[in-house]
Amino acid sequence: MFNQLYESIVIGFKAVFQNKGRALLTMLGIIIGILSVSLMGTAINGIDNVFNQTLGMFGDDVLYVQQFPWFMGNADWWEFRNRPQIREEYSEKIAERASSISYASLETSRRVTLSYKENNSEGVDLGGRGWQSAYIDAAKIESGRYFTQLEDQSASRVILIGSEVNKILFPNVEDPCGMSIKVNGLKFRVIGVFAEQGKIFGMFSIDNMAVIPFQTLKSVFGRSRWITIPLKIREGVDKEYALEEVRSITRGLRGLRPLDKDNFAINQQEAMEDELGKIKTSISAVGIGIAALSLLVGGIGIMNIMFVSVKERTKEIGIRKALGAKRWVILIQFLFEAIIIALIGGLIGLGLTSLLVGVVNKFFVASMSIGLVFTALGVSIGVGIVSGIVPASQASRLDPIEAMRFE
Amino acid sequence: MSLLILKNIFRIYQIGDIEVRALNGVDVDVERNEYVSIMGPSGSGKSTLMNIIGCLDTPTKGGYELDGMVIHQEVKDGTGIASDDQLAVIRNQKIGFIFQTFNLLPRMTALHNVELPLIYGGVPRAERLERAQAALEQVQLADRMHHKPNELSGGQRQRVAVARALVNNPSIILADEPTGNLDSKTSHDIMDLIDNLHKEGNTIILVTHEHDIAERANRVIHMLDGKIHEDNKKK
Ligand SMILES: Nc1ncnc2c1ncn2[C@@H]1O[C@H](COP(=O)(O)OP(=O)(O)O)[C@@H](O)[C@H]1O
Ligand SMILES: [Mg+2]
Repeated sequence: MFNQLYESIVIGFKAVFQNKGRALLTMLGIIIGILSVSLMGTAINGIDNVFNQTLGMFGDDVLYVQQFPWFMGNADWWEFRNRPQIREEYSEKIAERASSISYASLETSRRVTLSYKENNSEGVDLGGRGWQSAYIDAAKIESGRYFTQLEDQSASRVILIGSEVNKILFPNVEDPCGMSIKVNGLKFRVIGVFAEQGKIFGMFSIDNMAVIPFQTLKSVFGRSRWITIPLKIREGVDKEYALEEVRSITRGLRGLRPLDKDNFAINQQEAMEDELGKIKTSISAVGIGIAALSLLVGGIGIMNIMFVSVKERTKEIGIRKALGAKRWVILIQFLFEAIIIALIGGLIGLGLTSLLVGVVNKFFVASMSIGLVFTALGVSIGVGIVSGIVPASQASRLDPIEAMRFE
Repeated sequence: MSLLILKNIFRIYQIGDIEVRALNGVDVDVERNEYVSIMGPSGSGKSTLMNIIGCLDTPTKGGYELDGMVIHQEVKDGTGIASDDQLAVIRNQKIGFIFQTFNLLPRMTALHNVELPLIYGGVPRAERLERAQAALEQVQLADRMHHKPNELSGGQRQRVAVARALVNNPSIILADEPTGNLDSKTSHDIMDLIDNLHKEGNTIILVTHEHDIAERANRVIHMLDGKIHEDNKKK
């Protein structure tokens, strides 16, 4: 049994390597198929990574009361546009009235230029946040501290900077805390540096930011039209309950009557998750579509080449059968040939994927998982079996006398 | 007891409307350690008979027993009782073939060619190598073991085929015009080998066109139009 199996596998291998060029050509479909399957898998892995990064920005137990929802879909933009603004005093009122909320803060932002001596960092996302954000923000502080309630209320000129900003302004400084920098020309004292969070799709760095107290931003740059109210849900409180409570309080603050629609949005991380889910679904659909098509083409190619191989080896099959090879021995021999072609195609596809992923990774953290590798190899073997079975079984049924006469 | 018994064997090919009776009622008994040669004009059914004896082909009608085993039963429609795979096992265990065109696998060494019947017989590797080498020594080709068929002369190729035919200790060795592709000098060398196999106790059936070769056997069967025309046993 084993001897015969081994013999069959060896013959299968030899057959493939005796016709390298032909086999390689046949593999093309499989290579492309596996490439698209594994690139798809890797892209989805990358999206998950992005999602995990954003988890670092938005806490899991935080609600954001805002004028617009994060993902508007097909909704009426004018309706959103005409909504009244979110007002600063909502924060305090929600904190007072909502038993499910432990902290309520304020957030707004604008683009500024930061400078230290001759180093400039342009287009920095400067956030103005309430002191309560110290308890809500998920971003970690690497060195220094958040600002205090007093610093917020007294509109102190203190600033926390992101790691990217830190690198640009202070390339040679170990710890910039205590140093003075300029925000659009105004002097601020650095009190903290955020830990690095990484890039999203390589396009923008969430580290290219800075944070000052909300009241400071208001006093320096004036009132902001766009205010977000981050709310931390009290520990152990059900999220749905908190959401409902905040909603009804906000409706009260907005003076809405029972039948009026909400004219504000309560955003949360889950909305992000749903949206990423949709992107993942469409990537999968495209990836699976391309993969299925090229695997089909590849499979047909293998089947075709296997028919050729059976034809070429008709005499050999006849001799082997005359000497006592049973049907399954011949079947396995050709099936292995098909599987080997498909499997090598799959391995090349995986190799190309990992090369591409290596390049892409410079912008975007993504990796091929072990599961993906096994899936790809499994699919290759499957294609080999499906496309090899018909020619192989045809070979196994050849009549030995007829086959031996074949030249 | 006879080693093989053929009873009223028919092998009929239907080609369109034409019926070709390659074998038209053949009865033969062969004893153990007999040395039989079959002669007859081309198309008289010699190869067809050899293929049926060698379990490569199934008769249209008639009974066949080999080594006490019923291979085809003489029922009215002559349906074979052995399946494709069962016939493969019988060929592997009981038959040694020598063909006119050698029928070696071209991409394999002489040794591997001789090993093949043992591989399909499930003989373990070490024993297989030993037996294949012994068989090649017996045909005086031990020094060409690792050569491929295209690196060997015609006579040497046929020796490899002889080694392959005897390596599985078959009940019967079937040689269909083994010297048909060889010059007369090498023909006689091959025939000396086959004579030796007979002397060692093997049963041999040989198809040939040449009288001097046929005369080496103890029994000469003449075929004509799918029937046995003459069957002469020497004393
Ligand atoms: N596969 C086949 N299909 C049709 N006719 C065949 C086939 N094989 C053999 N025959 C016919 O059977 C007859 C006997 O053939 P064969 O046994 O090869 O003769 P021999 O070996 O004596 O020359 C011939 O007439 C041949 O044409
Ligand atoms: Mg013939």
